[in-house]
Amino acid sequence: MNSISVTVVIINIILAVLFSLGAAPILVWIERRVAGFIQDRMGPNRCHIKGIRLGGIIQSFADMLKLVFKEDFEANGIKQSFFFSLAPVIVFCSAFLTFMVMPFADDLKIGEQVFRMQGLPIDLGVLWFLAFAGLSVYGIMLGGWASNNKYSLLGSMRAGAQVISYEAAMGLSLVSVLITYGSIHLVDIVNFQGQLLFGFIPAWGIVVQPLAALIFIITAFAEANRTPFDIAEGESELVGGFHTEYSAMRFGLFFVGEYVAMSASSALIVTLFLGGYHLPWLNTHFLQQNISWVFVFLMIAIPCVSYIFSQWMFKNNRWLEVDNIRNRESKLLFKIIVGINVLIIVGLGLFLAFGIGENGTNIATAMIQVVTFAVKLMLMNFIFVWVRWTLPRFRYDQLQDLGWKILMPLAIANIVLTATIVVVFGA
Amino acid sequence: MDIIFLLLSFFAILGAVCMVLSHQPVHSALSLILTIIALAGLFALLSASFLFMVQIIVYAGAIITLFIFIIMFLNVKEANLPKEPNKNMTLFFGIIGLLPLNYLILKALYMMPSKQLVLAHDGFGDIKNLGMELFEKWLLPFELISILLLVALIGAVVYGRKEEV
Repeated sequence: MNSISVTVVIINIILAVLFSLGAAPILVWIERRVAGFIQDRMGPNRCHIKGIRLGGIIQSFADMLKLVFKEDFEANGIKQSFFFSLAPVIVFCSAFLTFMVMPFADDLKIGEQVFRMQGLPIDLGVLWFLAFAGLSVYGIMLGGWASNNKYSLLGSMRAGAQVISYEAAMGLSLVSVLITYGSIHLVDIVNFQGQLLFGFIPAWGIVVQPLAALIFIITAFAEANRTPFDIAEGESELVGGFHTEYSAMRFGLFFVGEYVAMSASSALIVTLFLGGYHLPWLNTHFLQQNISWVFVFLMIAIPCVSYIFSQWMFKNNRWLEVDNIRNRESKLLFKIIVGINVLIIVGLGLFLAFGIGENGTNIATAMIQVVTFAVKLMLMNFIFVWVRWTLPRFRYDQLQDLGWKILMPLAIANIVLTATIVVVFGA
Repeated sequence: MDIIFLLLSFFAILGAVCMVLSHQPVHSALSLILTIIALAGLFALLSASFLFMVQIIVYAGAIITLFIFIIMFLNVKEANLPKEPNKNMTLFFGIIGLLPLNYLILKALYMMPSKQLVLAHDGFGDIKNLGMELFEKWLLPFELISILLLVALIGAVVYGRKEEV
């Protein structure tokens, strides 16, 4: 262990925590604003620190503070206090652990050493995700059971039945994907998707395995307990389902755990089907070969995007009075954006002028890939939110029918088809 | 390594003991999960990474979930649980009765000839090697077990379906 490897490991852990835990407030914000947009209202946007609103993100932090300082109430009927407290911890930990194997960038080569860019450097990949996603349901079942409340028990039983049914279809859809890629290591899978199909289509999973992608995305929704599969909560029938009796930070853990699980599902979908950290048509090798052109492109593109964004901000975040809080915020943000742009352009210009060597190229490529991964992750999370506020909830029997009678046979047929094609044409 | 092994074994045994001793069926099922996860950890220590994952996915992720689901589904009341008046007595005599056997097993273990153990080669126990081994050396048993599973599956469906009038 020298200083470089320690640094890389620490950076990886920080990235994993940022993408999972750090994404939670942002996801809450996205959820509320998108819900507002879909329901034709504003959503929370007034919360601010010294006039900085950032479109309402501050609301999420205020919310978190509220959860932390609320009274942690425990109803008298709860006899199994230990399990009652253990349940949210299980949900949160298993959600958090599932995220730890997602690769944010291609294997990073510094000098002679090669580093995996994931939270935990193990290559169990997809299996790890399946294992810990399956464990999280214990938290829900245990929470509902320990609450000693009929509604909670019903909610947790629904969750259990749902996860068991959908895990089968999820596993089977993954089998066909793994046959195509020929590996369970997520880095190999992403690198496979860096190739081109027929010379011009990126060989992303969603192109190569459309059916498996569809099944997996549906089952991932069910695993994350999100609408249209959130019958475990079912607030119109079961009050709050498994978390009816929870308050304060114990509820907060359930709440954050749900978003972390959603983020982990999105990360796996991105990794398996949407090309992972690869930009379309630009795989790692290509980026490393043409790093100067990439820098030039970034030096032109970032100011353009910033300009458009600033115009949009000045148009939407303003008020008639000159000294209004919105106008002041816009001006401040504009200054910050200009500052960042100047820094980026000067930095990239210096790199271009003096050259950055092989290690520098690798690190720059990794940084670009991390950003790509983050953008794709947020887009996928947005789709999760979009679906939640668009589709109504399934009825329980419809949900089971969909799982067993449609998704499962489709997944099995897909395996047979994929295996035949792979054997006939050679992978 | 030794400390990890000891910890995992401790939790495995603790889970097993709790499973036998607890009064509530849910507690028993939960203790069983503890044992299974600890066993998975032991597999990982033996560098059988595939077994480690399968143990968690299949046993902890699916089978025990089903157990707990059924236990919750039956929703047994505290009053309906079987009374175990002589539990401690039974346990005590059970332990006393088993002591000679334990002694014999321990003695047998210590009398075993020592053998130089070698470290497993790289890639031992991962999916590829395991699959190759299964499909090359052990193809017939593998297929036979699949048929057995299929028969069990069909049997479950036959028993589970409603009688047609």
